[in-house]
Amino acid sequence: MPGSRVEVERLTHAFDGNVVLRDVSFSIEPGELVALTGPSGSGKTTLLQLLGGLDRPTAGRIMVDGIPVHALRHATRYRREVVGFVFQLHHLLPALTAQENVQLPMVAAHVPRRERDLRAHELLDEVDLSGRARSLPSSLSGGERQRVAIARALAGQPRLILADEPTGSLDAAATERIWQLLAAVRERHGSTILVASHDASLLRHVDRSLAIRGGAVCEQPASNLAPPPPPATGPDHHDRAPAEL
Amino acid sequence: MTALLQSFESLERRPLRTFLTALGTALGIATIVALLAVAGGAQASATKFLSLGGSDLGLFQRDAADPTTSVLPLALVSELRRTRGVQAATPLVLLVGEIHRSPGAIAFGAYPDSFVTDRYVFLQGHMLTGDRQVAVGSGLAAQLHLHVGDTLSIAHRELSVSGIYHMGVPEQDDGAVIAFGLAQALAGKQGEATTIAVSLAPTVSRSQGVETIRRRFPGLLILGDGVSAPRAGVSGVLLSRLALVLAVIALVIGGVGVMNTMLMAVTERRTEFALLAAVGWSGPQIALRVMAEGVLTSLIGAALGLLLGVIGAQLLVGLLGAGEYVAPNVTAWDLGRALLVGVLLGVLGGMYPAWRAARLSPAKVLAER
Repeated sequence: MPGSRVEVERLTHAFDGNVVLRDVSFSIEPGELVALTGPSGSGKTTLLQLLGGLDRPTAGRIMVDGIPVHALRHATRYRREVVGFVFQLHHLLPALTAQENVQLPMVAAHVPRRERDLRAHELLDEVDLSGRARSLPSSLSGGERQRVAIARALAGQPRLILADEPTGSLDAAATERIWQLLAAVRERHGSTILVASHDASLLRHVDRSLAIRGGAVCEQPASNLAPPPPPATGPDHHDRAPAEL
Repeated sequence: MTALLQSFESLERRPLRTFLTALGTALGIATIVALLAVAGGAQASATKFLSLGGSDLGLFQRDAADPTTSVLPLALVSELRRTRGVQAATPLVLLVGEIHRSPGAIAFGAYPDSFVTDRYVFLQGHMLTGDRQVAVGSGLAAQLHLHVGDTLSIAHRELSVSGIYHMGVPEQDDGAVIAFGLAQALAGKQGEATTIAVSLAPTVSRSQGVETIRRRFPGLLILGDGVSAPRAGVSGVLLSRLALVLAVIALVIGGVGVMNTMLMAVTERRTEFALLAAVGWSGPQIALRVMAEGVLTSLIGAALGLLLGVIGAQLLVGLLGAGEYVAPNVTAWDLGRALLVGVLLGVLGGMYPAWRAARLSPAKVLAER
């Protein structure tokens, strides 16, 4: 399934009178892997939420494959059929196994149980976690939880994947593995992927980069940024401050 | 079905929280079961009370809250005897709390040769023959170790035990019979009776008899079945009304308790529900999940509550010292009603939390760190 075309025009969003995004315009072509950079509080999460239909903008237009996301009163179907989210805090349900977490979007879509089991197994295999299907999140490492979250984001066969700081709490090796996984997902599924991150190592994997500064978004060619050194390989850990852009 | 299964698994994997939530429901259900059981026991007791001497109907003053306060003119007895379909009618005076050694026992003032006393089987002695005698039920005799010739004090009158009878109705076997005239004097009801027991002709059905008497004497309360019996019995009336009031209170408290617990659970799990919304669950799907958990938890609570309620009913009667008046009566219908209430509590108590969960803003909740 081809990725989505994203078109944002003159988008403005404010919370309690504070303008977070001001007159933002950009577009993403189908199948592109794009980084979204910017300091904390610059509006990266807000932009992803608006693109994902979790919130509605104060002004402006968001068109995803011709769907006027900015005007959707109920975005449930859009979120179910078009978008896949990956959050920084993975947000896996603690009482459900990895496989059950991956199935959540399919439950919402009323996919039959047998098909859900099969697809969840395939997705966990894709993120190299088929052996942990019956594990609860509490028994998984940070990197493994995030890979389960990526598998969950893919469960609805989305055309647009929005990842918000997906490596925020991971070490260098786990971070690199997540970037490689997202790149592989793009190659395999053709999804359009927008990743918000502080981590400079992301830039080695993306087609281009958008930067948010002072509520405005500007194009930032990936080639203009110095690539970071390749990360050391090793098991997933949780305790490393990421290299910031 | 999937939502239900997942809800069940979710509860199963959080045993402590599930237990504590269910416990709140269980206490509400236990209260309801206990009260229904006590009210049922009171009703059953009143029914037995009315079967005095095998009478078909008991006539009371309308709106009398207590058999001892019902006042009927004796002239009514002869009028009743002339009524078509009535085979026999005899007046009774009831004295409650006047047998000092057994305050729960009832003294029945009756004519010794009336049809109500004809069916008494005497184990010792015989029916009373005068105002200074008393016939004692087998239960009361056993309790007070009475024998023929002993003395029993009723309303400060020392009466000689003429005989010990057995009827098979606990309220009568645990009571005593005294002369009608004496009972009138003790109750201050000269020319009056508390109730009139009526025996219908064999060819007349109970409903026909009730209808005939009701048409002729519209001011009477005619009791002929266990459902209406408590309306005239003090314990029946008070307990059934009290039980109803307390059951409603228990229902409200139980409902509020379930809602409060569910609200806390929703608040605690708001990230979970926001996540579900983010991955494409609709508001109704999320609400259904919350409701399903609420109903399942309440069902567990109801099952626990049934057990606690049956035990609680015995304890309640024991603590109130009402064992002589009321034997808790737990029926399958009571248990079914309690289970139904459990489901209703889950549905009602879960509605507002479910609505709250369905309306959570995923953008706000998921952005929290």
